[in-house]
Amino acid sequence: MKKKQCIAMLLAGGQGSRLGKLTTNIAKPAVSFGGKYRIIDFGLSNCLSSGIDTVGILVQYKPLILNRYVGTGESWDMAVQDGGVHILPPYAGETGGEWYEGTADAIYHNIDFIDMYEPENVLILSGDHIYKMDYNLMLTEHIDKNADLTVSVIEVPWDEASRFGIMSTDDEGRIVKFSEKPKKPDSNLASMGIYIFKWKVLRKALLDDHEDAKSSHDFGKDVIPKMLADKKKLFVYRFNGYWRDVGTVKSYYDSQMDLMDDMEHINVFTKDQKVYSNSNFYPPQFIGPKANISDSLICNGCTVYGTVTHSILGSGAVVGDGTVIEDSIVLPNATIGRNCKIKNAIINEGVVTEDNAEIGEADGDVIVFGRAKLSI
Amino acid sequence: MKTIGLISANYTSTEFGELLDNRSLASLPYGGRYRLIDFALSNMSNSGITTVGIIAPYNSGSLVDHVGIGSPWSLGRKSGGLFIMPGSAYGLQSVGSRFLLRDIIKCRKFFERDDADYVIMTNSTDVWNIDFRPLISQHEKSQSPITMVYKKVPKGEDYQGFFLDLDEEGKVRNINIEGYAWSDYFADCFIVDREYMIDFMSWYETLEYMDMLQIIRDNMDTMDIDSYEFKGYLGKIKNPVDFIKVNQDMTDYDIRNEVFCNDERPIYTKAQDEAPVFHYKDADVRNSVISAGCRIEGRVENSIIFRSVNIGKDAVVKNSVIMMHAEIGDGAVLNNVITDKYVTITDGVKIYGTKDAPVVLGKDKKI
Repeated sequence: MKKKQCIAMLLAGGQGSRLGKLTTNIAKPAVSFGGKYRIIDFGLSNCLSSGIDTVGILVQYKPLILNRYVGTGESWDMAVQDGGVHILPPYAGETGGEWYEGTADAIYHNIDFIDMYEPENVLILSGDHIYKMDYNLMLTEHIDKNADLTVSVIEVPWDEASRFGIMSTDDEGRIVKFSEKPKKPDSNLASMGIYIFKWKVLRKALLDDHEDAKSSHDFGKDVIPKMLADKKKLFVYRFNGYWRDVGTVKSYYDSQMDLMDDMEHINVFTKDQKVYSNSNFYPPQFIGPKANISDSLICNGCTVYGTVTHSILGSGAVVGDGTVIEDSIVLPNATIGRNCKIKNAIINEGVVTEDNAEIGEADGDVIVFGRAKLSI
Repeated sequence: MKTIGLISANYTSTEFGELLDNRSLASLPYGGRYRLIDFALSNMSNSGITTVGIIAPYNSGSLVDHVGIGSPWSLGRKSGGLFIMPGSAYGLQSVGSRFLLRDIIKCRKFFERDDADYVIMTNSTDVWNIDFRPLISQHEKSQSPITMVYKKVPKGEDYQGFFLDLDEEGKVRNINIEGYAWSDYFADCFIVDREYMIDFMSWYETLEYMDMLQIIRDNMDTMDIDSYEFKGYLGKIKNPVDFIKVNQDMTDYDIRNEVFCNDERPIYTKAQDEAPVFHYKDADVRNSVISAGCRIEGRVENSIIFRSVNIGKDAVVKNSVIMMHAEIGDGAVLNNVITDKYVTITDGVKIYGTKDAPVVLGKDKKI
């Protein structure tokens, strides 16, 4: 097999329990986003536009839809001969099987997989971030500095810094201190959960971490602090673009509205660094004779008879006659009946509402309506 | 019983002007995101046919670019799959004739190499969603080596082609070229026993310049031909007037559900991964079909808008078909217009066609 300069390992196994009903029967990276995308599209499309053609996807929590969605990786041009996407669930060995106990543990269990490609470097990604990034720029810096680990960081407002893992650096960008959610931060460089490791160094660190009974086997909590203590060469890579961790219903809603309201942030219309997805058998949208749509993103397969204002309609969504939808996100294949009023709500995938339903409140928090009924 | 498919695409029309300057009729863009051949390919694929040949026209560039190795129709396969076979180029392309024997004879190996029992042969340009499986099972029970698919001509429609005279048992007794309302119109599609087809090629080799249907008509007394009625929607596009009308048929609730939103039998096409459509604050879209990647600020009525079209402020697009990557400037007005790919209409320009004579603007035109 050809040796790889860099392969990616994409962590997609977490439950994302703070997304509530959105993840009752679907892994967070497979949750719909921006109408026609799923969250994992951003990470996979970034890999494609960065020339990374080998990606291991670590799955654990309810992975069926995710597995099917990723498929052969063809949608992201990853159905290639020497590489491609690999779904990596926990597996059994001679002494039984084990679940992935943490982010580092998930990679530990796939050391043999990574070894097959003999990569110089391994890029660790989260499957639940919304951003466009050229990993090559980060990889180039990582190689130039001969770093053992490069952590991608983004400047956050000082008053929010205590919510993040904060990196303190010297003038060269070398990490001197790492503090997880510090009460009094001395830096505003937040870790984005995107790491490039020298594989040799990471391999050893994972083996050591596995032996450490006190470790929770997490990159942020255990592996990176240990490497820092061991005086390894850790650098930051400063990222300046748009980046959101869609961990909560509010951030999930807000970042989709960002995608619509301010296309400068994350432009899905642009031809460079295109975001690819696997959802393409819908006919074009049909807008009915009395429909009224403004300031909204509408996907293929939608049928709209009612009024839609400042909202996103996912692929295949149907909006009945006389219905008014405002400031809401209708996920794929949901059917909204006639004369409904929907405001500040997220309608779950495949949900069918009755006629005259009223969902969401004008001044209330955004709510998630219904349990997803999934099909791809 | 195993069935393979052959799609005839080596025919054209002279009615479309610039729209067919550089492409075949089979690869004419349709319905916002499709090409006409998508219907034949999807019908094959949805009916479980996994070996499909296409008789390609001489100007096959856009067709080959579109179908590729057939992956969208699950035809990128190791066993069977898609076979693109060049048609005969003597008269370049036939006009009207769908099943020129010369084209079929050029595909003799396609028939000889497979071990299938039947071959479904179909046109590449009609808009329809047909399940071939009931046709196959009816043909299986029939003693006839050929079963022709027909549709009763709806009142008010002017179909051109062949019409069938059927007896009480549904056997074809004659083939006419004159039709009238409720005639049994031959839908340019039939199923034939593979071995019979190989024999047919040998028997009539000297008549290779003729359409297979003409040969059948002339030898009707020696033929045993069955028929199968198709009752669904059949969109036939003969000219730009039909082109706008059959595109607008997509806004019909029943037709949309039958042909395009059919969960059991979706129409597949080459994916382009465009973003969702953004309707700006003052956008006003009515009774129209809009494809991904468009950004709409103006008014759109009774129109079909293809991928990645931008429609500017106060622009009005009515009764028109706007193909991919068009730029419609602020305040521009289009009524009864067909624009090919990459057309630019500058701010304030107004273009009016009529229902009976739409304006056609060729590729890359800037007005």
